[in-house]
Order: sequence, then structure tokens, then C-alpha cells
Amino acid sequence: MLSRTAENLYWTARYIERADSIARLLEVAYRIHLIPNTSEGYLNEWESILSAAGIKESYLNNYKEISKNKIEYFLLFDPNNSSSVKACIESARNNLKMVRTAVTLEVWNTVNTWYHEIDKYDTEKYDTKNLPMTLDWIKKQVNLIKGTINNTQLINDGFDFIYLGIFYERADFTARIIDVKYYILLPSSSYVGTQVDNFQWSIMLRSVSAYRGFKWAYGNSQIDYTKIIDFLILSELCPRSIFYALDKIQHHLGRLTKFYKSDNKAHRNIKAIHKGLIDSSADEIIEFGLHEFLTKFIDDMSTTYSDLEEVYFLGIDK
Amino acid sequence: MYNEVFDKKTPRKAYQDIITWANSLPYNTLIKKKAEAENLFKKIGITFSVYNNFDSSERLIPFDMFPRIITKLEWLEIQDGVTQRALAINAFLRDIYNKCEIVKAKKIPADLIYMNPAYEIKMVGVKVPHNIYSPIIGTDIIRTDIKSFKVLEDNCRTPSGVSYMIENREIMMRMFPELFEKNNIEPVENYSSYLNDTLKSLAPKKCDNDPKIVILTPGPLNSAYYEHSYLADTMGVELVQGSDLIVEKNITYMRTTQGMQKVDIIYRRIDDDFIDPISFNENSVIGVPGLFHSYKSGYVNICSAPGSGIADDKAIYAYMPEIIRFYLGEEPKLSGIKTWRCSKTADKNYVLNHLDKLVVKEVHGSGGYGMLIGNSASKSKLNVFKKKISNNPNNYIAQPILDLSSVPIFKNKSLSPRHVDLRPFTLIGNRKRKLVPGGLTRVALKEGSLVVNSSQGGGVKDTWVLKN
Repeated sequence: MLSRTAENLYWTARYIERADSIARLLEVAYRIHLIPNTSEGYLNEWESILSAAGIKESYLNNYKEISKNKIEYFLLFDPNNSSSVKACIESARNNLKMVRTAVTLEVWNTVNTWYHEIDKYDTEKYDTKNLPMTLDWIKKQVNLIKGTINNTQLINDGFDFIYLGIFYERADFTARIIDVKYYILLPSSSYVGTQVDNFQWSIMLRSVSAYRGFKWAYGNSQIDYTKIIDFLILSELCPRSIFYALDKIQHHLGRLTKFYKSDNKAHRNIKAIHKGLIDSSADEIIEFGLHEFLTKFIDDMSTTYSDLEEVYFLGIDK
Repeated sequence: MYNEVFDKKTPRKAYQDIITWANSLPYNTLIKKKAEAENLFKKIGITFSVYNNFDSSERLIPFDMFPRIITKLEWLEIQDGVTQRALAINAFLRDIYNKCEIVKAKKIPADLIYMNPAYEIKMVGVKVPHNIYSPIIGTDIIRTDIKSFKVLEDNCRTPSGVSYMIENREIMMRMFPELFEKNNIEPVENYSSYLNDTLKSLAPKKCDNDPKIVILTPGPLNSAYYEHSYLADTMGVELVQGSDLIVEKNITYMRTTQGMQKVDIIYRRIDDDFIDPISFNENSVIGVPGLFHSYKSGYVNICSAPGSGIADDKAIYAYMPEIIRFYLGEEPKLSGIKTWRCSKTADKNYVLNHLDKLVVKEVHGSGGYGMLIGNSASKSKLNVFKKKISNNPNNYIAQPILDLSSVPIFKNKSLSPRHVDLRPFTLIGNRKRKLVPGGLTRVALKEGSLVVNSSQGGGVKDTWVLKN
């Protein structure tokens, strides 16, 4: 397969996944809005959401104040935001257009339709009342695209590059979202057990759509921070956990090395990170320092991406 | 004007069924189907880009659902004519880049070849695989009366439109399957596999294995990008951009996830000037440095060959009958159109004096840009062209204004005649010739207009060649 094809497929998938993540993040924003603003702390949630999406700075460059309406618009459609949902959809489609021949007509159709229809939601004046409907639509389209990929694509190397894109993005996004709020997951005598605490934790779970999943996995017991760390980082049950994403990345890289009959350092390093997660516990992570752990993880992942790029995307003989 | 469908008030035999069908189609259904067709085009992404300074966005090519029908007899005439032309063009190209016998025999003025900007001096003496310079030729054909078809233009560089020929059919079959059960229509879907066979037969000398074919595109911003990707997809070959290819020690490779892989045949959809910044335009960023050397060394074939464009030059066009006679020893099966070359003083004077009765074209123009249709142009535009022709006569040719034949389009609640042309695609391989029975029918959507180019607001129709 052409190196550029592999790279475009990878980025198409990353942008699709990113659009989905931002939509889920916005759902949290919506929920915050519905809860009576009894504590001043709640307003900070908006800032966390901007930080989690990595666009706080660019938002503040464009708007003076933190306002619900503006943040929603900024995250969904604002042409000044290069990581809005709309921009992600455009980037996904542009990447795919470069390699149309590498996906089935049905996959192209779902992505292309998504691209053409987002404009319908981007009406001139943003109306916050449409948010739930818009978010549902975005998530539905992502599920449709992923389902179409699963049901129609050849399970060949291209399929692996698509899935590498999805899970690299997911690992990165989950790590960042935990990192933005890492301090609420740290034991602190003044917070533990308070209502603020519970609220913050549930927001954290919801932002990766893992709230219900958490309840099922741990029973309807009291939420506590070690369980959350375990669930979002180490669980093999949670589809948004870092471990699950790593497991998938390892699986698809492993398939590629078999398919191409040659091992490489990207695969070896991912295996090492994967093993490291298997051998860790939530307590050990806390002891190491949650923030430090996440920073290291994000760095390690970006190193493995550089390896991946060198091995597959540059197309030069080694 | 020759009406392809009606002979006075009665439909011609080939069109009888389709006229009955069209007249019985309820208006609501028509509207619905039209929207459905547009939706399909948009969803599949069959779009083209228009070049101008303001907007490079994607547009849909207007599709009219009333088909154009060609009988078997008519098709045989077209088939023989365009194949003959394609063979003559390849013989001509081989000659003018080697022995130049046609010039020595004084059948064509030497200046017209050697001073022609489309003549590529770097190709002189280059060994072209199997002597096929232009394997894919799109011939623009028009009809002015019942008697015969005429050739308006040859396109032997990188003719486009073939994907519309195929997709128009796909969409018609999806929307009106009943029409295809009743009528005996030749399929066009084999084009891609014919193209694949044709290119495969043109492997370069230094190619040991099954030749690896790629299609070279300028990228997604190109107006015909959809077609490039469509062909690559249906041929099962890689669609590459310049940056995907690399030349090392005169061998051309593509960058793949498994390292560098040799490429043998490039169907390029990039103009000559841009294929290699070392040998041609040094500012090209869409080309491949060293490609031309790789080609000359016999490691890779570039289709069409650089310099092929001279054969579809509008000044050479006037000599096509001579070219056919000279190389094939046959009379042309399709006639051309009377052409005045403004480089000749007598012709220029005639053109200047009869401007309102002529079509004036730039010798190297294409796509309907830089064209004048004398009888519908304003006085000031006529004057502009008068000046242009006087200042630079070599750059212009003129032809009579031809009354192109018409086929109706669905317009509001009725059928309304519009001018059409036809572009079939001839494939010339090593000892192989293929022509898919069909072609692209372009239709001028404005009433009375003779300009059918999509870049100038023309549309397309499905074209049926009948089996019997």
C-alpha cells in the first residue's frame, strides 16, 4: 500500500474519532448547564472542557469571556477553531478524498454525507436549544461510519491503519481528559466524600461516556478515585480506557508486522507500554504521581507515533 | 438543425420507445428522479472544479435524464473513423520525433511542426515503448446532418470525461431499470478493464515482471480528480501524486508501507510541463524529479508520451486528412471541418472579414476558454478578437459556425431541444485496439447555445449504443 494512503487513512480515522470525542465532551457541558449553579466551582468546568479539548488558548484569543453559548459554538462550528467538530469532519473528508480508492464506496458515502450535512446544523445564528439533537446526530454518524468500516472494508493493512488512527486518538484523548482534572482524583482530606467530589467524579466519567459502564463494572457502590483511575486507565472492560486503546493498537500493529513479515520498533515499544499497564495497579499509579504517569504516557505514545511514521508513512527502504 | 430524435414531428425509429416513456413520465416523478440523481452524484462525490480566481469549490455537473441514442450502424461508422484517426495520430507522432518523413514528403509545412510550441524537442530520438505515444484518445464528434458525423477535435494528451460516461449509465440504470430491460443497450462498464489491458501491453523495455501500473494525478484540487480516483479504483491500481514517486539510479519507485516498490507504467493525468521539474518546468511541485530520465532509460513508460500534444494542436488538425492518407494509405472515414489558419495571410484576411460568421479558437486552448462564436458575440467582443488576431495571427484558427445536432432535455414540463456533441474514447495498445461502445454526450443547457463544455455551463447525458 502507498505510504500516503496509509497515512491518510490513519488521519481520517483520527479526525472521525476526535469529532466524536468533542461531541461527548460537549454533552458534559450540556449536563453542567442543567445542574443548578449552587457552587462557584461549576463555572470552572467550562474551562476544564476547553482545556481538555486543547483549545482554551485559542478560545480566549477569540472571545473575552467564558460563556456557554460561545463555547458550544466554538467547539462545534466556529471557523476560527481548527479543532471544531466541523473542522474535524472536513479534515477527515479531505484526508479520505486523497485516498478514495482505499475505502469502499459505502464508507466514502457515509463520510461524504456527514460532511455535506454538517452545514445544515451550522445555521447562521447558533441556537443552544439544538445542541442535544446536533450531538446525537454527530455521534450517530460516527457510529454509522465505524459500522460501515467494519462491515464493508477488506480486513487488510488499510483496515489496520484506520484502527490505529481511532485508538491512537482515543488513548490520547482519554489521557488528556484525566490529566486536565487529575487533581480531583487525588486523595485530599478536604474534598473526599463531599458533594463536590462526587459531582466532579461523575463529570469525569461522563466526559468519556463511561458513567453507566462504571456502575455496571463496579456495582452501584460509592464512586471513589482509585476505582475511577482503575476504570479509565487499566480496565479491559471500558472501551474508552487507555488500556483498551493500547490493547487494540498492539493488536493492529501485530497484524501489520505479520502481514508485512517484518517486526519494527513501533510494535516493540507498544508491546512494552502494554505490558507496563498490565503490571500496574491504580495504587502504584497514584504513588508514582497521576500527572507524572499521564505526562510520561503521552510522551511515550508520541515517540511510538514517530516510529510508526518512520516505518510506514515515509516509504523509504530501511 | 439536425434533430436526432424527431424527423419533422415523428420520432425516429431508435427513439420511439424513449419518447413514449418520456411523455408518460409524470411531472412529479420527473422532479423526484432529478433530485435523486443529483443526490447520488453528490453522495458519490462526482464533482468537478471550475478554475477561476474566486472560487475553486466543487460543483455537480448537470445531468439530463433524457438519453442520447446511437444506432448500431451509426456506431460502426464512428468506431471505424475514430480508430483510423487514433492509429494515424500515433504513426504521425512516431514519425515527427524520428525520421520526419511527412515533412520530407512536403505534406506538412516544416514550420508547423518545428516552430510549434507543442513540439517537444527533448522527445526527438527517444525510444517510446512499442511506438505507442498516445494510447488514450478522446475524439470530439459532431453531426450537422443525417449523412455523416464529423470530427471537431482530437484529444490525445489526457482526455477526460470517461468516468461520466460510466457513472451516467450507472445512475440511469439505478433510476430507470425498466428502460434497460426493454432496450438492447451495449454496456460501457468494461472500459476500466480495457484500459488496464491496453496499458499493460505497453510495458517498458526494462520490466521483467508483471508490469506495475499507477495513475499519476495532480491531486484532489484538480478538476478531474474524481475521474482519476474512479479509474484507479476500478482498475485496481494505485492513484499516486508526484510526492509518492521517487527516482533513484534512473529507476522509478513508489513509496509504500513496505518500502520502495518499482513502478513500470504511469498513466499520467498531469500536463507535460509538470511531470518532471528537472527536465521540464522547474517550478513544478506536482511532478517527479528525474522521471523523464527514467523514461528515456527504458525503466518506466509514461502514457501519453511527453510531446503527444502536438497531434491535437488545432493547426495540425487541418492536416489530419493528409496525415491519414500519408501513414495509412486510406481515405479519412470521418471528415473534419473546414479550418482557416490565421498564420496564412489569405486565411487571416478571410477570417477578419467574416468574423461574425465564424468560430475562432486559440490554437492551444481547450475547455472552451478563449473562444469566440461570431454570430452571438457583441460588437466590442468582435473588435477585441479582431485586434487579437491581427496582433498574433499564429495563435488563432477559425471554423464555420456549425449547427450541431440536437437531442432534447427535460425542461420544466416538456422536452426542449439542445445542441450536443459526442466524445468516444479509443484505446490503442501494443497490437490491441479497444473502443467501448458509448461515449460522453455533452449538451449545451442554454437554448440555442453551441458551447457544451462543462466548464462553460454544459451538461451531460447517458449515451446508448444499441446492439441491433
